[in-house]
Amino acid sequence: MAVEQKIAEVIETSNSEFLAECYDLDSVPALGSMVRTKGKGCQIYGIVYTSATHSIEPGRRIAARGKAAASEADVFKANPQLAKLLCSDFKVLVVGHSPDKAIYQYLPPSPASIYSFVYACSPVEVKQFTQSLNFLNLIIESRSTVAPDEVIAAFLRYASLTHPAPEEFLVKAGKELAWTLSNDIRRLDSILKRLQP
Amino acid sequence: MTLDITQVYSQIEAMAGDLKSHQSDYAQKLELALTTLKSIPPQQDRLKKKIEDARATWLVAGLEEDVSLHRAAAPCPDDFVVAASDGSHIDVDRHQSTRLFLLNIGLVELQYGSKPDAELSSLPTLYFGDEMQAIRSRDGRQALIEGPLLGIKREVEECRSLADRVCCNETNLPVVGLVDGSLIMWGLVGKHYDDFVIEQLLDDGLIKQFGRFYELNRKRKAAIASYISFPRSTDVINSLRLQLCPRDPVDCDNEFCKGKFEGRECDAVGGLLDRTLFSSILADGERSAVFSSRSSIIERYGVHQVCFFYLKLDEEVARVEVPLWVADNKELLDLVHAVIVGQCHKGFGYPVSLSEAHEQAVVTGADRQQFWDLVDRVMQEGSLAVQHSLKQRSKKRKWL
Repeated sequence: MAVEQKIAEVIETSNSEFLAECYDLDSVPALGSMVRTKGKGCQIYGIVYTSATHSIEPGRRIAARGKAAASEADVFKANPQLAKLLCSDFKVLVVGHSPDKAIYQYLPPSPASIYSFVYACSPVEVKQFTQSLNFLNLIIESRSTVAPDEVIAAFLRYASLTHPAPEEFLVKAGKELAWTLSNDIRRLDSILKRLQP
Repeated sequence: MTLDITQVYSQIEAMAGDLKSHQSDYAQKLELALTTLKSIPPQQDRLKKKIEDARATWLVAGLEEDVSLHRAAAPCPDDFVVAASDGSHIDVDRHQSTRLFLLNIGLVELQYGSKPDAELSSLPTLYFGDEMQAIRSRDGRQALIEGPLLGIKREVEECRSLADRVCCNETNLPVVGLVDGSLIMWGLVGKHYDDFVIEQLLDDGLIKQFGRFYELNRKRKAAIASYISFPRSTDVINSLRLQLCPRDPVDCDNEFCKGKFEGRECDAVGGLLDRTLFSSILADGERSAVFSSRSSIIERYGVHQVCFFYLKLDEEVARVEVPLWVADNKELLDLVHAVIVGQCHKGFGYPVSLSEAHEQAVVTGADRQQFWDLVDRVMQEGSLAVQHSLKQRSKKRKWL
């Protein structure tokens, strides 16, 4: 069995979300993808809602360096310190947890542990998690992300590919959304339009 | 009350007016300095002898190459390493509860070429207790390390950490070690430090580290250099003063010159800085001739006698100092020149490795406060008495 590759580490945490710093620059998981980390006595599942690459020091502005470079890779080759002074991180909305084999699609009793490793969920895990879509309201109602509809659509497109019949899954998800957003047709319409693969 | 800036404003205006009135005078001096420099024949034997024989009151540059030389940088090797160090410190504060000081050395090692890599780190060391905080002689004398002496100690530790890092580098690539400021321990010049202090800080301290680079250079190409941005030195201008002096041998204590600050023949170039002179001579990336420092302390440096050249970079002229064994080795000198020009281009005018070493070393005001708070907390947890001066307390609690 292949050893699972950790991709990041939790550096800020709360009950509803966490921030994870990547081990490698520019290697953030895709928007809407599902990741897993550890909490107190449980596995915590979340969906990536934003990511960024920036200076490790808040006060230091990144300057353009590539005017004389032939390629973007040459910028790093000519300035080897950059890889050590920049970092990539991503924020994750917590959508469920699993203290044992069962998965609960609501917030865990305590936040993800600080410094816990973050793993990208396998297609099997995503498929298993999305047998039910009760967690969607956690994203719909989230105030953390400026574009929750984009996150929902990205996640559903990504999750559909783990199911044997992706379109069937998307129809099921659309119905779930229609129920949750029955009083906001414009928003529902906006998300549904984004579900086209 | 803080500074009343409205009161200072008129004084700043007066200062600006004064500087403006001297502008044309300054341009004339520069013109004469350039003419004088160009008039020196390439062998420059007469000026060399004049410098040797002079009894001058200024620090004069020794001539190692044709003074009017200007040379573009050779190409950098494909693969090479640049290491740099810089430091910050928290000085002894007699108003705090405990006598201690802290040195924070920032280190950077950048590898360029086929396998680019970078190592950035900082090394904080706390000095506490009598033994760590003093320089001691064998016969029972000691000098407490604080204030200016701590600044000198920091220079030594910056250089020691740099040598440690460079000696650990496992590649066989050419390597240049860079420090910020001067290789000349100006802090020891003109001060009345005991011999054992000078011995430990300079002979067994700084110069010993130069020796480690010297030894390393036997196995692989290795040099140490220091970089001074916006230098205020006048060594070369002072050599031109000697060239202008009609007396030979030059003796500043002669009847005409003694006690004067202006009106002497040499004052026709007085007040100029070396960087102003070389700004008019050098093109971007070019270096000046190599000169040697004739500071009194240099006698102790031996083979590591400090030489220097000026380097034009975009908008400023910097001073680069190297030991004599680097200056005398054309390949090493070219390496230092090329690497520093490259470093400055990558660092927007200042060597990127030094800039990052500074970032690693810097101790902010908030860091200082956090440090002293932590010292107090750990002392209290250990049931040790924590007492600050009343002055310190008064500053913390502003009252009316």
